[in-house]
Amino acid sequence: MHVPLTHLQSMLLFALIISLAFGTLGRRRPLERLKYAIWSFCLFVLVGIAIGWLMYPFSH
Amino acid sequence: MDEPALEQPQSEAPPAEPAPAQAHDTDGREFLALLIGVAGWAVPGLGHALQKMWGRALAVFLAVGALVILGAGMRGNLFTSRGEDAFATLGYFADLGSGAFYALARLLETAGPDVSHSTGDYGTRFLATAGVLNLLSALHAYEAARGRKA
Repeated sequence: MHVPLTHLQSMLLFALIISLAFGTLGRRRPLERLKYAIWSFCLFVLVGIAIGWLMYPFSH
Repeated sequence: MDEPALEQPQSEAPPAEPAPAQAHDTDGREFLALLIGVAGWAVPGLGHALQKMWGRALAVFLAVGALVILGAGMRGNLFTSRGEDAFATLGYFADLGSGAFYALARLLETAGPDVSHSTGDYGTRFLATAGVLNLLSALHAYEAARGRKA
């Protein structure tokens, strides 16, 4: 089995899976779970992209 | 505005100790919670399933399973007990956190790890995250069984 994924696809998939797990474990009600999962997903992606740009100058 | 302070009851009697039967119940509940925690580690989601928290059980099972399958498919490094340094040992403990899914990852990764590409490196993180997420879930199930939170 081989799963070829790009950097962005890996990050998005990682953020999605972890956010759903965090939302389900951390909150009780379905709506709260969904809100928490979306919030967590956005933070994962935004922080990931921000760190990527912070590292960008050092790659040249 | 300050609320009036509640008066503390003045009592000279020492605090009551729990009755023997109550203490026995507490010990039994602690032991059961420990078993649930271990079950949750061994099989992802089982700790919550035993407490009839079906949604959480399914979410943990699917999340840990997906991370393990993807990590192994990306040919991530699955650490063994024969680690060469402290980081490899830490990685082994993180991977071992997946419980039974550690063996599943071993079965899936027939070609061995390949971290010469970024995909393999990401796979290593996916596998370690699966283990740590499962440990977190087992701890959550243990705390819920103790009645701390749910």
